[in-house]
Amino acid sequence: MRDFRLRVCYRKAGRLRFLSHLEVVHALERAVRRAKLPYSVTKGFSPHMKIAFGPALPVGTAGEREYVDVFLSGYTEPEEALHRLVKASPEDLAPVEARYVAEREPALAAAATIAYYEVRIEGEGLTEQEVRSALERVVARGELSVEHKGKTKVFDLPHSLPKEPCVRSSSGGIVVELVVRMGQQGSLRPDALLTAAFDPATRPGVVATTTRRDTLIESDEGVWSRPL
Amino acid sequence: MTRTSVWPQVEPLLTRVERPSRYLDREWGARHRDDASYRAVLVYPDTYEIGQANQALQILYAILNEIDDVGAERAYVPWIDMSAEMRAEGIPLFALESAAPIRDFDLVGFTLPYEMTYTNILEALDLAGIPLRAAERGDSDPLVIAGGPCAFNPEPVAAFFDAVVIGEADEAIVDFVRTHRAAIAAGLDRNATLVELAQVAGVYVPSLYDVCRDADGGFAGVSAEDPAPAVVVKRVVSDLGEQRPSSCPVVPFMDVVHDRLAMEVLRGCTRGCRFCQAGMIYRPVRERSADEVVREVMAGLACTGYDEVSLTSLSSTDHSQIEEILRRLKRRLSEGGVSVSLPSLRVDSFGVDMARLVAAGKKSGLTFAPEAGTQRLRDVINKNVTEEDLLTTVRRAFEAGWRRVKLYLMIGLPTETDDDVRGIGDLVQAVLGEARSATPADARGSVRVAVSVSTFVPKAHTPFQWEPQIPLDEVVRRQELLRSVVPRKGVDLSWHDAEVSFLEGAFARGGRELADVIEAAWRGGARFDAWTEQFDPRRWLGAFESCGVDPAAIASRMRTLGEPLPWGHISSGVSQAYLSRERERALTGTPTPDCSFDGCTGCDVCGDLGVTVLLGGDRRA
Ligand code: SF4
Repeated sequence: MRDFRLRVCYRKAGRLRFLSHLEVVHALERAVRRAKLPYSVTKGFSPHMKIAFGPALPVGTAGEREYVDVFLSGYTEPEEALHRLVKASPEDLAPVEARYVAEREPALAAAATIAYYEVRIEGEGLTEQEVRSALERVVARGELSVEHKGKTKVFDLPHSLPKEPCVRSSSGGIVVELVVRMGQQGSLRPDALLTAAFDPATRPGVVATTTRRDTLIESDEGVWSRPL
Repeated sequence: MTRTSVWPQVEPLLTRVERPSRYLDREWGARHRDDASYRAVLVYPDTYEIGQANQALQILYAILNEIDDVGAERAYVPWIDMSAEMRAEGIPLFALESAAPIRDFDLVGFTLPYEMTYTNILEALDLAGIPLRAAERGDSDPLVIAGGPCAFNPEPVAAFFDAVVIGEADEAIVDFVRTHRAAIAAGLDRNATLVELAQVAGVYVPSLYDVCRDADGGFAGVSAEDPAPAVVVKRVVSDLGEQRPSSCPVVPFMDVVHDRLAMEVLRGCTRGCRFCQAGMIYRPVRERSADEVVREVMAGLACTGYDEVSLTSLSSTDHSQIEEILRRLKRRLSEGGVSVSLPSLRVDSFGVDMARLVAAGKKSGLTFAPEAGTQRLRDVINKNVTEEDLLTTVRRAFEAGWRRVKLYLMIGLPTETDDDVRGIGDLVQAVLGEARSATPADARGSVRVAVSVSTFVPKAHTPFQWEPQIPLDEVVRRQELLRSVVPRKGVDLSWHDAEVSFLEGAFARGGRELADVIEAAWRGGARFDAWTEQFDPRRWLGAFESCGVDPAAIASRMRTLGEPLPWGHISSGVSQAYLSRERERALTGTPTPDCSFDGCTGCDVCGDLGVTVLLGGDRRA
């Protein structure tokens, strides 16, 4: 039998940005059950909910528009499903939009490869211009190797950064807007890029918060579009 | 009292510590009652992931939050990275919900789940900025109380608590809070408040009890100051269904131990295993009806969103209606991928039948507890399971498709000889043989028998409370012997750490002299002693030595039947006469039947505490 593929956009905000991806997965699965949506289950010895998440967010990074596909065995009005999900979710991990998408659409995890980030930087007397030139210097290297959990990954910066970073001042700090192309072999983390941009000796700025504003799907033709 | 959130100071630390979800709050089911005038915080003396699912605290959290104008929150011991950051920044231990320092609450209640958490009590109090000893606290400090299984011998930690609740706290905590609020309203000072609380049934106020010494300076019992009762008798709830709070349990974000809905189906177990403290202190058996269990499981799953429910108790498969409960749940949960689990099984075919009912295809492994290797020793401990029972059960399980069993066994039980230790080897061999022969030839390679061996620790309020624990070197010798007789292939043998058991033994039956030892060990860096990689026996040996206390004299000394015991002023309701009679029967290898099947065997709980065995139907022998 065909499933109804409900695509849900949710936020990960406030203190709940400190949840790990696995914790978010469990929390949302539980919210789906609390909402009493007619979710489908996989067949086999240990049946579990059919649900597919978009690219993971690291611990500490907030997300304004994160995506998950919930497969339902029966049709529920999207507004009704959304309403029930919101009521069954904590405020800082609440769905904001829901709509059905075609089954043939590619899986979120593989297709949603373009991430818009907003990084807030704090630093005594740090100016927009300093951040801009620090970023220009690191981007000019063309390559960046990042150590994470004992492994070294090398990122091709022109590929990983399809758009030029934008730097602006806002109340209480400097904001960097980054567009990152994520890959199957790991994705460049904005904080890693900024840490590399600043001189480790003087550390003129530190990353205060990182927020993923949205993730987009990049088609084979290179066209970007919102999953919802 | 003003209570200010320390969250703004806490939040920046979270980028620097492991697993920040330990400290976040905001879980589904967390209650925020910041406007309540009386505030309590329930503390589990270990990390969030160990303590979050503790059922007693979940129940008390719900009960307290249901009282008008009372708010209850939760606190856990921050992991060492977080406590270091907090100390460096001067941030005191805070409660999760309001992020207010716990020292600003009216009541700080610890549960005492097992002895190896004792240093964490001091870690929590110190981090909170609350004086470690009750005697050092003043009117501006909260009342610090404790409860839980280890409260039945509260003496080693008595100095750290203003009061200790003995037995089931479901109703006692309500009485306690009512009396405390009345004392606050009347403007009573700390001492006068404690005198009032000492008159609440089940409440032990250590400062109102003095240790008596005989002519040689030896321990001669504990005497109560007026009006505190000479003996504090445990609290016990007569009907579990009656004051059940209806609110939804807290559903953690973090992957915690026992991360599922826990539904208590009965309390107490009267199988009468003579080594088992839980079996003695939680008497009598009280079952909840099948209707009530099924209704609450459905409601609990709906409100939490869990995909698993565990039917908990000391012996859930003994519930007279367990089959009906499982069948009804299975019918109602057939869709949706929700599973039911049973924490432990009876060693008989009925146990396997019940496991089959819930397993629905996934057969991860079954756990049985024969406890001892020979029939003689099983008769001593009143474990009414024969080798034939065990082998038939194992055969049935493997015929039904299971490929793994886990066996719980003990060494060091009273009267144990080397033959009994070798008997464990024979028993494991027989189980392995039975398991293999019941398994199709092509699947035999996957047959595993896990054998978990602990060292017997004699506990207060049991028939073995007078018995010596075997000394450390003897534990090591018997472990060696056991290793040489247990088959290797197909068997995973694991031990409970001998040094940990030795310490548990000292705390299980020691007296007030241990408070100094615990404090010295904590000052020497001991905490999270239940975590293998954190536990360092040298810290403890040093602490015992510096305080002039010999742990072996506590753990490994044979006590005479008449001698005063450090927990003599605490009563579980089971009479000393019954315990010593049971000890006699143990030494002659005479079994005692289970009163929930065969009629009263005279432990004296029922009459004296005004409760009775409560069954939903006839139990299946
Ligand atoms: S008093 Fe009798 S019936 Fe009650 S728990 Fe004890 S042995 Fe069982």
